[in-house]
Amino acid sequence: MARLRRAIAEIEAEASRPSERPARRLPFARAFDSALGGGLADDALHEIAPARPQDGAAAMGFALALAARFINHRPASALIIGEGFAAEESGALYGPGLVAHGLTLSRLVFVRAPDAALALWAMEEALKCGAPAVVVGEIWSLKGYSLVASRRLLLAARKGRTPALLILASAYGQAERLSSAAETRFEIAAAPSAATPAAAGLDLPGPFACGARLIKARLARAGPFVDAVDSPSKDGRPSERPMDGVHDQRSRLQTHDPGRVIRLEWRSQDMTFKDMTFKDMGVDDQAISLPLAAASGDRPRAAAGRR
Amino acid sequence: LTTRRFLSLWLPRLATDRARRLGGVDKRAPLAAVAKIDNAQRLVCVDAQAAQLGLSLGLSLPDARARFPALIVAEAEPAEEAQLLTRLCDWCSRYTPLAALDGRDGLMLDISGVAHLFEGEAALIEDCRARLSAQGISVVIGAAGNPRAAWALARFSRMRTAPEPLSDKAFVKLFHDLPLAALGLDEKIVADMARAGLRRIGDIAWRPRAPITARFGAVPMARLDALKGLERSSIAPRFRPPDFCAERQFASPIQTVEAIEVQLRKLADDLVVLLERQAKGARRIELSLYRVDGAMRRIRIGASRPLNEARAIVRLIAERLASPNEDVIDAGYGVDLMRLACLTAEPLAPSEAELERAHEAERARSLAELFDRLFARLGARAVTRRELIDAHLPEQAEAATPAALGEARRRGAEPPAIIEAAPARPLRLFARPEPIEALAEVPDGPPLRFRWRRVLHDVTAIEGPERIVAAWWRHAGAPTRDYFRAEDSEGRRFWLYREGLWGRETMRPKWFVHGLFG
Repeated sequence: MARLRRAIAEIEAEASRPSERPARRLPFARAFDSALGGGLADDALHEIAPARPQDGAAAMGFALALAARFINHRPASALIIGEGFAAEESGALYGPGLVAHGLTLSRLVFVRAPDAALALWAMEEALKCGAPAVVVGEIWSLKGYSLVASRRLLLAARKGRTPALLILASAYGQAERLSSAAETRFEIAAAPSAATPAAAGLDLPGPFACGARLIKARLARAGPFVDAVDSPSKDGRPSERPMDGVHDQRSRLQTHDPGRVIRLEWRSQDMTFKDMTFKDMGVDDQAISLPLAAASGDRPRAAAGRR
Repeated sequence: LTTRRFLSLWLPRLATDRARRLGGVDKRAPLAAVAKIDNAQRLVCVDAQAAQLGLSLGLSLPDARARFPALIVAEAEPAEEAQLLTRLCDWCSRYTPLAALDGRDGLMLDISGVAHLFEGEAALIEDCRARLSAQGISVVIGAAGNPRAAWALARFSRMRTAPEPLSDKAFVKLFHDLPLAALGLDEKIVADMARAGLRRIGDIAWRPRAPITARFGAVPMARLDALKGLERSSIAPRFRPPDFCAERQFASPIQTVEAIEVQLRKLADDLVVLLERQAKGARRIELSLYRVDGAMRRIRIGASRPLNEARAIVRLIAERLASPNEDVIDAGYGVDLMRLACLTAEPLAPSEAELERAHEAERARSLAELFDRLFARLGARAVTRRELIDAHLPEQAEAATPAALGEARRRGAEPPAIIEAAPARPLRLFARPEPIEALAEVPDGPPLRFRWRRVLHDVTAIEGPERIVAAWWRHAGAPTRDYFRAEDSEGRRFWLYREGLWGRETMRPKWFVHGLFG
């Protein structure tokens, strides 16, 4: 099975390898960067799904935090494309809230599409054009979102060298079962924020925090020596779990445990994610995601809290 | 001085022609339109046959019925007639872009310098009359060097065309026998002048001006000057003439959409040549299709940067036609004239500057192209930018503007966002706050738990209240809102508010979810 999977990955890598520069990767959180080969590729499709029905706002918050990092990285406009129904169901994006989340409002262009098909069309056009820093999409209806549709988005992203973040707002609980051509898929759950104690009564809630799970990371294009880690393992496969102190890059890229939930806190002032999983463990020094230019360092000690 | 020519189209039988166009009226029977005037049904419009019978306007309906029982009567509908007149005006723009409405029953066309395109003025008038009568509209056309004279000739004279330039002798012959009403004066002034023995234009033309002005006001003499062409007059056309325009007439009307597309491509090529001569690009473009049966269709598109490529123009129009809220082209009986006009042209950016900022310009260009495609398919209002507004009510704190306005206008530096000092605002806001059932320790305290969309949430952390009151000088009596930022045991953060101050505004405050934090 593993051999077949590898063979498929190789064929795909061969077919889709453009002769241009390799994708630039944007690091965002230590716990994920190594599994992603250095960070999120800036010319690929990344899917984000909520874990439970009411985690949609957390998924959007995560996507917008990533978008803020992408915009910071490449100063250009960003497009936020949404299916009209999603805005009715879970509220429209709110300008003052976006500013508080660390986004520059003048850089954002909002597109409202009447249905998912048109939203995907608008995303594809925006990606192909290559001008936006990042294209964020939110669709509610999954009916028209298939392997073919996601493949179109991926190819458009590669053609325009623009990252695409797609929120599948109604895919709660299905994140492991979806099949698509996306390079990565995250499942996002709401997480209690770092509350500050109040003088009386209940604590004060802190900034945006979420629990992120990397379900899929296709690394077919990362380099000649890299294998793909695609579909999740059902049983958690203990043999693939990263071992402490493994420094071999190859094995580091190969292995990521999709069952692991990383708790992230977003600091909108300096646009970094803080890994709260480590804070819980008392390892605070390396917990903040790297500045953009930094190379990947050692893998942090990861005996993290399993789900 | 260039000679100018005006056509006045008088449609004396508009109401009855409209009734006949609707069908269902016996073709041989006389027809009249009636309206209620001073509590009596009176004829306001008679067709040719009824006029032959001697029926005149203003006759009361019972009188007319008594004399001719076979008379068919239709109700006059001024609104519908005005609409028909507007459509005819649009249709007339096939002759000249300067076509204007003229009262309730007339049109005014400025045909200066266009007659030769139709093989002379006489041929143009004949063509217009023939096409309109084929549509069932009877028309009287007067032509002269100024609008006032054309108007008078169409309505009051047997000689419908005044030569240009107009000699004094010809003026006397043409106009001196016309009644004073031909000057377009009020009925009251006409009656006053008739009492003084002044009935025809000739009666005042030879007299000294001062006494007439002293007695009847300045209007009659001013009108007379206008009639002579001494006063420069112009008309207010329904549409501004386009800067650039390309058109094609077809000897036999084309009926298929494919043929229209082929012609569109040719028109776009023609238009681009015109634009290129002046190094300009089109910002707003309009395609007009004139159908044989008098209907006409306009399709307008906008571009966020000056366009001078035929391919791009054709593609934008095609996108617009593919959009779900645009009707398909209905060629009907066929299209006999197509016109592609550039309504607004702007100079193309100079090339040096473009070289300097080649990369950025390229990006802006492709972004503009992208916006155009999105506008064409989704509508301009679906693509917006937003800005913050200093307002107390959360739902008024931002404003969306169409991204079509372009970036150039909003280059100004964004005010620095003060994140720490600003109160927390949610990522998503419900357009309509959703009511919840909330349980609080005390009626004016923070909630302990609440039920939203049938799910119970236990509050574990909370911040608030932040009191927001609507501007009392605008929304008098709007209840006060106390906002809370609440986190439940699962880590979801909500923006809740309680409406109404307990004990002062209401005894049962209502609770709402207004937004969701990330």
